[in-house]
Amino acid sequence: MSETTRKVQLKPNYDSIAWKWMRYSAILLIPLAWGHILIQDVLVGVHQIDLNYVAQRWAFWGWRAYDFFLLAFAFAHGVNGLRQILSDYITAAKWRNIMSWLLLFFWLVVSLIGAVAIIGGVRMP
Amino acid sequence: MLANVKTTLSGYVQYRGQGHYIFLLHRITGLGTLLFLAIHILDTAVVYFAPSLYAEAIALYRSTPFMLGEIGLVFCLLFHGVNGLRIAYFDLFKPGGWEKHNANRVMLITLIISILLWLPAAGVMVYNLLKFNFGMFGG
Repeated sequence: MSETTRKVQLKPNYDSIAWKWMRYSAILLIPLAWGHILIQDVLVGVHQIDLNYVAQRWAFWGWRAYDFFLLAFAFAHGVNGLRQILSDYITAAKWRNIMSWLLLFFWLVVSLIGAVAIIGGVRMP
Repeated sequence: MLANVKTTLSGYVQYRGQGHYIFLLHRITGLGTLLFLAIHILDTAVVYFAPSLYAEAIALYRSTPFMLGEIGLVFCLLFHGVNGLRIAYFDLFKPGGWEKHNANRVMLITLIISILLWLPAAGVMVYNLLKFNFGMFGG
């Protein structure tokens, strides 16, 4: 069977860029997210984790950077995934628009709270 | 919108193609991880905003229901990652993998790889659960 291939150049739009970033972030999330659960949930375990543990971990800037990347890529990946799922149920352009803005707001607020905590660090009571 | 949800949900139940189940599992594991992640970002942010509350948040995570949920979360994360890599691999290098007659085998292999990765992690977490919450293994 002979095949004809042709190349199609599409003008990038928001959704094609978002789709690409889902893939790029996914590649980064495999080591970042798997590494995080392997260390914190399996090797360390929630019974060893307390304020001191977080403070010691964040004393090294490398772990803060790790957590910052995890926050940035994982949460954006997840919220955009939620937007894709909701787009399957919300089909009217107006409501899709409202849903996208609400999700953007939700993503921004939660990301900012997380980012402030990572940068601010542990405040010992 | 409600009509859309109804159509979709009944479609999920009625659908008979095998490829659909793995697609559904990808969404469910993704949504589950996102729900946990949103909560986890906020509870960790407590170390800066209200550090005296952190001990209470951690106490919740040490409870048996949360530890069981954590074991499920690890499966969600592993499956979502393995299946995501599988999707990217098929798209980029092996479009034949998408053919319908492969769907059953593809789902089986993806599940087996995910479960094999999950079992050792789940074993350690079950050990910790029994040790710290049920006093076994000298805990």
